[in-house]
Amino acid sequence: MSYIKEVLGARELLSNLVLREVRGQYKRTIFGRLWSLISPLASMLVYTFVFSFVFKVQPAKGNPSGLDVYAVWLLCGLLPWTFFANAVNAGMGSLVVNAGLITKVYFPRLVLPVSSVFSVAYNWGFEMIILVVAIVVVGGFVWPWLPFVVLMMLVLAVFATGVGLLLSIANVYFRDTQYLLGIILQIWMYLTPIVYPVSLVAGQSDRIGGIFGTPITILDIYELNPMLHFVGVFRTLLYDNTWPMVSDVVACIVWALLALVVGAWVFSRKEKRLAELL
Amino acid sequence: MTDIAVDVSNVSKKFRLYHERNQSLKSAVMRRRVSVHEDFWALQDVSFEVPTGSTFGLIGSNGSGKSTLLKCLSKILYPEKGSITAHGKLAAMLEVGSGFHPELSGRENIYLNGSILGMGRKEIERKFDEIVDFSGVEHFIDQPVKNYSSGMYVRLGFSVAISVEPEILVVDEVLAVGDADFQKKCQRKFEDLRSEGKTVILVSHSMDTVERMCDRAAWLQNGTLRAVGDAAPTIAAYKSSL
Repeated sequence: MSYIKEVLGARELLSNLVLREVRGQYKRTIFGRLWSLISPLASMLVYTFVFSFVFKVQPAKGNPSGLDVYAVWLLCGLLPWTFFANAVNAGMGSLVVNAGLITKVYFPRLVLPVSSVFSVAYNWGFEMIILVVAIVVVGGFVWPWLPFVVLMMLVLAVFATGVGLLLSIANVYFRDTQYLLGIILQIWMYLTPIVYPVSLVAGQSDRIGGIFGTPITILDIYELNPMLHFVGVFRTLLYDNTWPMVSDVVACIVWALLALVVGAWVFSRKEKRLAELL
Repeated sequence: MTDIAVDVSNVSKKFRLYHERNQSLKSAVMRRRVSVHEDFWALQDVSFEVPTGSTFGLIGSNGSGKSTLLKCLSKILYPEKGSITAHGKLAAMLEVGSGFHPELSGRENIYLNGSILGMGRKEIERKFDEIVDFSGVEHFIDQPVKNYSSGMYVRLGFSVAISVEPEILVVDEVLAVGDADFQKKCQRKFEDLRSEGKTVILVSHSMDTVERMCDRAAWLQNGTLRAVGDAAPTIAAYKSSL
């Protein structure tokens, strides 16, 4: 209990560390914070060219919104994904980067990974605002769903925090984690229906049927991916402008809580030895 | 108010001396182990009490476990055995200016560093002028700290750290920062702390400093406590052993 109290007592430290990241990040650049928008914009252009123009991937029209713009459809899934990937990456490295601090000052170490996830979330907030503007411009009616979008952003942030906590400890023991994570995130992204609709996988899965004679289909395995549910929920809210499936929302919340509990548990167990290990 | 500020009882701290340490997965898998190590006891069964209001010196040669003990006191390391109980707010100054962000201004860094050291925003606001004044970097407070000279950098760090106003202050040889003028200021600050009845625990190699400032001292050798008591006889015993 006293541990939780201590972490809550460090709220101000947390906000100051987030400010440090946010303020320090784009110092000495001409475009400043615009850079955080340019990078998703560039990915959007590349993916739209490759998957929409060349490969002719055609996601279903927004139902009931009637939207039919691949770039917008893509961003509804891509922005949550890039947030997750960046947040996990930053959270993972936070302990090693701040080794100097950990070995010299006492404070609840939990604030380090959490603050790096928050500072990534700060940029994500801007990106989502731009996306909402874009959706409105192309004719979506997204306003009523925005409170729920914000709520789901929090759930995804919790999920990213949990994974980040776990990996930050792993990275202290094995520095391979950082390199491995880069590859895993790349594979993970393509295993998540971000640049293509899940219906394409479902179609293939139906064609093949149960694998190795079992009733388990490829889709069943495919749907074990927690990010699939997150992307699905964000897309339903932002692109389709309707309520997401309850099962998807529940899956998101369960994954988020599971990640947080496991992450925090491992972290609190290893926290005391960090100064020695770094 | 108890008479004892810090109670160190039977503290032992073990380190691992690695003969082989596999910090990559490949080597860990190939060698089928994470590490080969032997235990090294940096502190063994150290017990003493620091009375409230005293200035307590930790002395000993290099590698005697002084810094390890100091890190245990400031909760950076955790002893394997024994316990350390502090009665009152404890703050440690092992390094000044840690956590400064080079691209941020002195002002922003005061808030950042202050909160790392456990101060609230209001508290820092209240002490802000005092901190700037003590550091003597008024003109440059809105400049990024990467442009500070190393002296200005540590002076600002020291000023933030000293403004925490703990009941117990743990200090590693940071007294040697800044020019003669600033050192005098620091001396005065420590004397003020002492006259306010604060407890100071100090590690130093300079016997002059310890003799001048401390009224109690503990002498560590190879991780064990050789002597503890009034400063003068303890220092004399340490000196005669050299």
